[in-house]
Amino acid sequence: MNEHSRILEREKIEIETLRDAELRLPAVAPREPFPIEPVTPDARQQTRAVGQRATRPDGRLHGLGQTKYIDDLSFPGMLYARIKRAGIASARIKRIDTSAAEAMPGVMAVLTGKEIPVNSFGPSFQDQPVLVDEFVFHAGDGVAAVAAVTEQIANEALDKIIIEYEPLPAVLDPVAAMRDDSPKVHAPNSNIYATKVIRKGDVEKGFAESDHIFEGRYSTQMIEHVSLEPHAAVADWDANGRLTIYATIGRITLARSDMARTLKMPMSRIRIVGTIVGGNFGGKNEITQEPALALLSKKTGRPVKGVFTRGEEFTSTTTRHPIIMDYKTGVSKTGRIIARQIRLVLDGGAYCSWSETTLGKACILSPGPYKIDNVLAEAFVVYTNKTMTGAMRGFGAPQVCFAYESQMDEIAAKLGMDPLEIRLLNAFDEGSPSPTGQVLHSVVVKESLRKAADRFGWEPRP
Amino acid sequence: MTDVTMTVNGQMRSASVPPETTLLQLLRDQFHLTGAKLGCDVGDCGACTVIVDGQAVNSCLMLAGQADGREIVTIEGLASRDRLHAIQQCFENSGALQCGFCGPGVLMSAKALLDDNLNPTRQEIRDALSGNLCRCTGYTKMIEAVEDAARMLRDGTPAKLTQARTEVPVP
Amino acid sequence: MKRRGRGIACMWYPIGFTVSANPSAATVKVNEDGTATVLTGTVETGQGSLTVLAQIAAEALGIATDDVHVVSADTDATPMDTGAIASRTTYVTGNAIFLAAEAAKAILFEAAAPMLGVKVSQLEAKDRKIQVKSYPQRNASIADVALRSQTVLGQPAIGSASWNPPTVAMDPETGQGKPFATYVYATQIAEVDVDDETGEVELLRIAAAHDCGTAINPMLVEGQVEGGISMGVGMALQEEMLFDANGRHINPNLTNYIMPTSLDMPEITVDIVQGFDSTGPFGAKGVGEPTAVPTSAAILNAIHDAVGVRIYSLPATAEKVLAAIKAKRATGQKQIPA
Repeated sequence: MNEHSRILEREKIEIETLRDAELRLPAVAPREPFPIEPVTPDARQQTRAVGQRATRPDGRLHGLGQTKYIDDLSFPGMLYARIKRAGIASARIKRIDTSAAEAMPGVMAVLTGKEIPVNSFGPSFQDQPVLVDEFVFHAGDGVAAVAAVTEQIANEALDKIIIEYEPLPAVLDPVAAMRDDSPKVHAPNSNIYATKVIRKGDVEKGFAESDHIFEGRYSTQMIEHVSLEPHAAVADWDANGRLTIYATIGRITLARSDMARTLKMPMSRIRIVGTIVGGNFGGKNEITQEPALALLSKKTGRPVKGVFTRGEEFTSTTTRHPIIMDYKTGVSKTGRIIARQIRLVLDGGAYCSWSETTLGKACILSPGPYKIDNVLAEAFVVYTNKTMTGAMRGFGAPQVCFAYESQMDEIAAKLGMDPLEIRLLNAFDEGSPSPTGQVLHSVVVKESLRKAADRFGWEPRP
Repeated sequence: MTDVTMTVNGQMRSASVPPETTLLQLLRDQFHLTGAKLGCDVGDCGACTVIVDGQAVNSCLMLAGQADGREIVTIEGLASRDRLHAIQQCFENSGALQCGFCGPGVLMSAKALLDDNLNPTRQEIRDALSGNLCRCTGYTKMIEAVEDAARMLRDGTPAKLTQARTEVPVP
Repeated sequence: MKRRGRGIACMWYPIGFTVSANPSAATVKVNEDGTATVLTGTVETGQGSLTVLAQIAAEALGIATDDVHVVSADTDATPMDTGAIASRTTYVTGNAIFLAAEAAKAILFEAAAPMLGVKVSQLEAKDRKIQVKSYPQRNASIADVALRSQTVLGQPAIGSASWNPPTVAMDPETGQGKPFATYVYATQIAEVDVDDETGEVELLRIAAAHDCGTAINPMLVEGQVEGGISMGVGMALQEEMLFDANGRHINPNLTNYIMPTSLDMPEITVDIVQGFDSTGPFGAKGVGEPTAVPTSAAILNAIHDAVGVRIYSLPATAEKVLAAIKAKRATGQKQIPA
């Protein structure tokens, strides 16, 4: 008996035992009774609704364990999908052999990148493939997908997919990636894929007028959203060629548009249904595996569910941009900021995703909530062969705030000023112009400083 | 195949499953009790927490076979037909759950604590919840809700209902 | 030895997309019994947006939050929405729902005016009634008006609307423009104890003062602040995705990717800064992301206040803090005059 038949024999036994197990289950699962409707809280009964501490009806369902997230959904005949990850940061794919996986009992379909009608998507640049087919851009890239009758069989099928890689040089550091001699992540394009400039007044003149100049470099790390619910979706078709996707996506209008693009289908034939998402924070703002699940479902004629493992949440979903921030600030001896020059280098990962938006926001916010006449902020986002960086709570704001508020304290310390006082001296007022020349309204930064200080019990030190 | 029989939320349940089946898979896939969640499958996040013989455990780390003959309580077993459990009432009133995914696990850890100690300090509550990761809430309102539930169960007093405002100034 | 320190950080943050259109559309239907259904394409991702949107619709229609049911997240049944992103839901989707409710209310007023013998412009909706301004004794229940409008006059009270924040494109050379319709502001102050022998940072308390315009639901605003702070704590002290020299992930798991547990969180006080933005629904702006913005800076400033060392790269792990303390001590010793 050759190796292949030995594998088939062993699988056959496992499948048979599985079928026996299915026969012994009750035909209809008994259902836990739920409580009759308890009293509605008073705050929800008030006809002046704004300002009430109203409780959430979905909150009640959460507490009962009744909320149905995607992975709680089940459909008759449903298959389970898993995706094989590249595990290598940069490579050319020489060969993909899915035959052994396809031959496995219980494996109903296998999919590779070549089968995807339009294998690219993205909210700004469509540089992200659904499944890579020629080149690998980061270790978490999906190379092939399988759909099987159980998740365990799908997992085992991944091991049987043979992929031959020709490793290519990878660039992991964004500063190195900016150099002309660096390997190009998406050759022949430059690794610097977007830039932003904000110029107001004259920083050189401002520095010349300053009594003190402060310079510093601040940097932040790559962070994962870690929503407790992993990315998940179920794809299903009806006999009229209409696709339904249940997905953990926070932007279903965009998702429908992405599905229409990647599958080359009219939007009227696509339905995207969101449930209550178990945490988003920016990480579930675009499609990931949905086109692959749709095609697996089409191939098999059965609903297909895919749930990312916790590992895939780290390797194969968007993350927060690490940013290297150089700040040069000129101040008067009374602590007033006269000029600020900023340079931001964002690690843009393997794909653009929401990097353009992050770049823009980080750049605009980088001078801080302060009245500054002379500003020069330049920002760059750079490809590297690492997990794609995208939208994460704050879009660059937490990073630049770390920089500008750290430096503010450094300035205060040098000038012997109270950190609260120096901020009150410089902060926006109602009607102040922003770094982009916008007249700001509803400005309460000083109120927030005073309120927090009051609550904290902030007393100036002698 | 492993045959298992156990009490789940007061009811006898049995199943026959492959030996490597975890208690979490048994509860979700065989018994259709989808309250306990799969967050990591390796015992790091606590989203799968259920109570086994009075102790809060990560059901993804327990094999179905190990739960044979035991008493299991899941989130589905907390409320009765005519009222929410005190912990559920307090969590709802204080808005302590946001996306809710970690919720069943957190509530079971809280229940295990209160079954043992109806007068926990805030530190004891933090300790009891330390195995449950939450990304949405910062745990703050959860701790308040557990304190409130403890008081409710001790004194028999109703859950703190946030006062409704009858006139809300809108400038 | 433990040393105590305090640190301030303030911030500003925009609501909505940078310049580009990010509309939301909504439909509000007043049922024949005076309750209402809202259709919105947004997705509830845990922040409680569906409850907040129900409160906005209820306020606009003069009914209670519990009278409103929100249907969401189905491209077949709900109108387009740019989505739960950029802290825009209360502001943009909220405005769309407000406008849709006003449109539905206009249909009710058309039906009520002859019932009450006044002009449409004299009417307001309050306490589940359509009543005459300054003479509320003359009124009809919303239920009666809605029933009459739909079943007698043949005009169901359905309103649809969309809204997009007004912006001005940024100049490509200077960046000058109006990229966002509005911004929110906040301050967080942290108090820490730093162990100067281990570098470990213990968070004692954080006082947070956040602006969100009108707080539609203060309880949910607090939840966002507390949750945002927990992300800020992780960013400041613990979290980091690590790669080896070949670009492979070192810690793609929750065992080695450290994030805050209930043991890591300080006591948090939340103050909502009084604000009102006339461009937002009932003066509201947004709050989802700003809450995670100033935390790291406040904590790192507190560390400096405690032990005199400044950490320039996040996360400020115990190893980094201790190394900085030791380096400072070494420099200090070198400076002792002979």
